Amino acid sequence: MRRPPLVVVFLAVIVMALGETAGAVMSQLRPQTERYALARIAASPTAHGLTGSAEYDDEVRARTVFAVEAGLSFFHTHAEGLAPVMLVAATLVASLVASRRLRAALYTLMTVGALFPLGYLGYSAAVLQVGRDDGVAFAERFLLTPLGGAAIVGVLGLLVALTTRRVRVS
Amino acid sequence: MTEAVPPTWRLPPVPALLIAVLLIACAEIGGASMVRFKLELTRWARGTMLARPQIHGLVGVRDVDEQIMDEALTRFDGGLRLFHMHAEGMGTIIILTTMVAATWAPTAGARRALIAMLTVGGAGYPLGYLVWAALIPFRGVEDGKRLAEWLVWIPFGGTTIIAMWLLVAVLVLQLRGGRSRTAP
Repeated sequence: MRRPPLVVVFLAVIVMALGETAGAVMSQLRPQTERYALARIAASPTAHGLTGSAEYDDEVRARTVFAVEAGLSFFHTHAEGLAPVMLVAATLVASLVASRRLRAALYTLMTVGALFPLGYLGYSAAVLQVGRDDGVAFAERFLLTPLGGAAIVGVLGLLVALTTRRVRVS
Repeated sequence: MTEAVPPTWRLPPVPALLIAVLLIACAEIGGASMVRFKLELTRWARGTMLARPQIHGLVGVRDVDEQIMDEALTRFDGGLRLFHMHAEGMGTIIILTTMVAATWAPTAGARRALIAMLTVGGAGYPLGYLVWAALIPFRGVEDGKRLAEWLVWIPFGGTTIIAMWLLVAVLVLQLRGGRSRTAP
């Protein structure tokens, strides 16, 4: 099998390395992560909709911390899952797609798609910065949708190239 | 002396591939066994816990004890599930990362070291979840976790993380060197 360009491999490997590291951080530094999240929520009470009512605010804090931890968890699982998939897909592009231009376009889409898991890091950061609902909406619109869309279009492009026989003859 | 990078993937050594495939097979069998023997596994864990009431903080009051055991059994089940997921994931990652190391490591020594670390670390880490699940009925949730952490997760997970970042460093050096930058 032919290999994809070094930059594609590099980005996939760095996303996997970040995913592994995030898993360890989530497990070993969970109390510190929670404390940091609570401190950030306390620093911007308006963004998080804190009202001063202890019972209501506790629930808001709990839901926000849960969303932050979920973002980190999704980052870990997607980095370990999607980056290898993109690497395999890029190998198929390198080995099977005949057109140099089409290969370049698919590599670009797959490289951008491999960055999709980083969107979940942005998700966690955005939730802390602007509050849970606005943060989730921001991350979905500006990070997860474009990055995930690139991955989907890249894989569909490979599918089209294979089915229309735009493949390399060995 | 550094070696030229070929336009095709270099395969990792057969033992690395065998270990990765074995890990994936164990994950598949583990997943199937969890479903097929769920009742037997739960019964065994429950019986083992009941035989060690002090370790689990069982007080002899049914309502209290059932809650404690339910929580421990949920963690026991979670440990088995996490083994299934991580073994499948790490098996795949071992194959891909050792392939990257075999192709891009600049010397034979670096290649051997990276492949060994990625294989041993990646194959050992998921077993920690199996160890944790097995220890829960005997040592309790927290003590089992502490043991699994020190015996498996930290040494093997640490090895994998170090190996992954060394692999990133190798690729950075290749990028800086400008070798094989063009698409094949």
